[in-house]
Amino acid sequence: MTRSSWKRIKNLRVVVALTFLTLFTILFIDAWHLVPHEVTTVLTSFQLVPAILKAVFVGGAVTIAGVATIIVMTLLFGRVYCSTLCPLGILQDIIIRFARKVNKRKRFRYMKAPRWLHYSILAVSIVLLLFGSSMIIGDLLEPFSNYGRIVNAFVLPLVILVNNVVSDILTRGGVFFLYTVPLHVEGIGALLLGLLFFVTIAYLSVNEGRLFCNSFCPAGAILSLISKISLYKLVIVENACNDCGACDKVCKAECIDSSKKHIDFSACVGCFNCLRSCPKDAIKYEKRSISDIMTSDVDFDYDRRKFFKDLTIPAVTFLAVPGLVKGGGVIVGEKEPIVPPGSLSIYHFTSVCTACHLCVTSCPTGVLQPSLLEYGFAGMFQPKMDYSVNYCNYDCVTCGTVCPTGAIIPLDLATKKLVQIGKSVFHKDDCIVVSKKKDCAACSEHCPTKAVHTVPYENGLFIPEIDSELCIGCGACEYACPVTPNKAITVTANPVHLKAKKPKVEKAKPSPATTPEAFPF
Amino acid sequence: MDRRTFVKRTLSASIGLGALMKAGDVFSAFAGIPVPYDLVAIKGGEPDTMFDEGIKALGGMKRFVKKGDKVVVKPNIGWDVSPERAGDTNPKLVARIIQHCFEAGAKEVSVVDHTCDQWQRCYSNSGIQKAASEAGAKVVPGGTQSYYHTVSVPNGKVLKSAQEHEVILDADVFINVPILKNHSGSRLTMGMKNLMGNVWDREYWHRTDLHQCIADFATYRKPTLNVLDAYYVMKQNGPRGISVNDLVAMKSQIISTDIVALDVAGAKLFGIDPNEVRYIRIAADMKIGRADLENLNIKRILM
Repeated sequence: MTRSSWKRIKNLRVVVALTFLTLFTILFIDAWHLVPHEVTTVLTSFQLVPAILKAVFVGGAVTIAGVATIIVMTLLFGRVYCSTLCPLGILQDIIIRFARKVNKRKRFRYMKAPRWLHYSILAVSIVLLLFGSSMIIGDLLEPFSNYGRIVNAFVLPLVILVNNVVSDILTRGGVFFLYTVPLHVEGIGALLLGLLFFVTIAYLSVNEGRLFCNSFCPAGAILSLISKISLYKLVIVENACNDCGACDKVCKAECIDSSKKHIDFSACVGCFNCLRSCPKDAIKYEKRSISDIMTSDVDFDYDRRKFFKDLTIPAVTFLAVPGLVKGGGVIVGEKEPIVPPGSLSIYHFTSVCTACHLCVTSCPTGVLQPSLLEYGFAGMFQPKMDYSVNYCNYDCVTCGTVCPTGAIIPLDLATKKLVQIGKSVFHKDDCIVVSKKKDCAACSEHCPTKAVHTVPYENGLFIPEIDSELCIGCGACEYACPVTPNKAITVTANPVHLKAKKPKVEKAKPSPATTPEAFPF
Repeated sequence: MDRRTFVKRTLSASIGLGALMKAGDVFSAFAGIPVPYDLVAIKGGEPDTMFDEGIKALGGMKRFVKKGDKVVVKPNIGWDVSPERAGDTNPKLVARIIQHCFEAGAKEVSVVDHTCDQWQRCYSNSGIQKAASEAGAKVVPGGTQSYYHTVSVPNGKVLKSAQEHEVILDADVFINVPILKNHSGSRLTMGMKNLMGNVWDREYWHRTDLHQCIADFATYRKPTLNVLDAYYVMKQNGPRGISVNDLVAMKSQIISTDIVALDVAGAKLFGIDPNEVRYIRIAADMKIGRADLENLNIKRILM
């Protein structure tokens, strides 16, 4: 193929990439909850690490098909995923493009990158995952989650602000087409840390292109390994190349050394910049025979040996880390955070969650809020139930439905209604009924199972009482309790979720007045 | 409409209406035309057909809604439950009231509530959003504080001010459409209790003195009309309810301009002595309305 046809293919690649970036961004800024959950599920199935996790912990045809598609795609053409489907990758491309507009002389150049570091980080993060921490593979390095957190922390609040200003103006004109959306800005600590992540990634990409993708990204590492045996591979045709070096300069992965006619295909992110840049059409996708793939790839043999050698040492070294991490997993703060229904236990949740914050954006009540260190360092940024913001809606299973990793297992509504994520505790002396001798019952009013109900108290007053077996820990009582500053009813986490008893079903008795003949007045 | 014109209009309207009614009394005494009923109770029909009969007995919606009026219909949309659970006002009733308002010449009818559960889910799953918009009403969001503005409650004993939804502040006609339910905090929820959905800061009411605040807020603005939905009545586990087993089909409806009389009748219909419900007692003592049903002109309709 010629340069001009590659230009078209590259343009197509950009269109596909921007389309997916837009779609993923919409998921994270959907303050109005308009995106159907099916769309979310399909889209997130094409995010490698979350989809692998979900395939393991939940399964599901769509998820498995997503993972399979990515693997087949990579087996055929290498890491094209990194330049089409990965939102963080495309975000970096956009940053690079703007940076090049500012500084036109900035060029990429071949970098003999230590690939073993990349694979070792993957190996360590997998070991950590097996020991119950998704910290490295998820919270720190997973690209989809990093992108989600950036958008959720910095873009979503802006979208909501604009929405609220516009809706306010419309409302003044008596138009209620838009409505104000509650704005929850993360704490300064979380924001600063999020900013640090973003700035680091932006800095790396401006200076060294896709260095993050080739040194830290777990998805990049997995796909890099797969691309070693891909059927088609980018090569420089020796006779055609005139050593002009145009390809080196545009290679975001810094994996082309034109002087040696060498392309490190395992680092190539499939952006097609080189193909478009080559004036001699000297770069092409070359089909390899099976025997070629298995035997003649010196690179692969070398790396495999070196890989396992390099891997063993850090893997053994870091076997000690899970212990440390679980030490870091000690809950910071006074009480254990409450994890959403479907997440089975704090352990399961913190082990599998990659902190993408899709559930935070999607939760209709806003009860799911990002944590900072409440789960310890190992569970940094992972969401928690925050009953000061709102409570878990009884008839809702959104978080489990949209969770891309299986940290929150999807539940059917009937099952969810019996999952006890915590238990209400009544602090009687603080209750209005006791302290002020007045009726209140905001807690029992909101309770969907009547675990919190009222019983007669002194002087004709009614006081709350809790039937713990019926309680599901949704937090409606805690949220509704008007006592300040300390609520008179609070929910304590169940570290391992339990099953609540079904609410009592007794047929209501008709009033004496239900006879059709007369009214009781 | 600004607050000043609102006060002026309400004042002149009530004086005018009062004078008219007085004149009407004298006139009807001569002409043998019955005086308007204080309260209409209907039984045995559907939520919408009962309202048709009831409003006819009260002289038609034209008595309450004038041409060009802005009307707010305020159902109870507190909970994210489906219509058959009767946790929220019956959507058929809401729709029919809206239709009557438009037929009477209303320029605009809005439906609003400050819900307890997440407002969009309540609006949509209660069936009220669909029914109301199909009937031509504007379904107005009420889920954030920005819609609510501080008003003073001069005659309140404990509640001296509240933040009321702007669309209600702006309305010429306010129609209160509660549903009759058991309530774990206030015993019963009906007319006066439903007005808690007009305001933002309910926690203050709960924290201070729920019953007194309910009565206090009823002094702030008398609804033009109150329509109590008692088709399915939640007899237990209120106000949210657990299942349809909490309901008894009473197929009733009560309509009155007097919110206290409405609540007294509602309590009796429910099967509770109105005196056991403290806010009703307080409201009667504060002379917000009439609790002496025996002295009122009541129309009873069996369908």
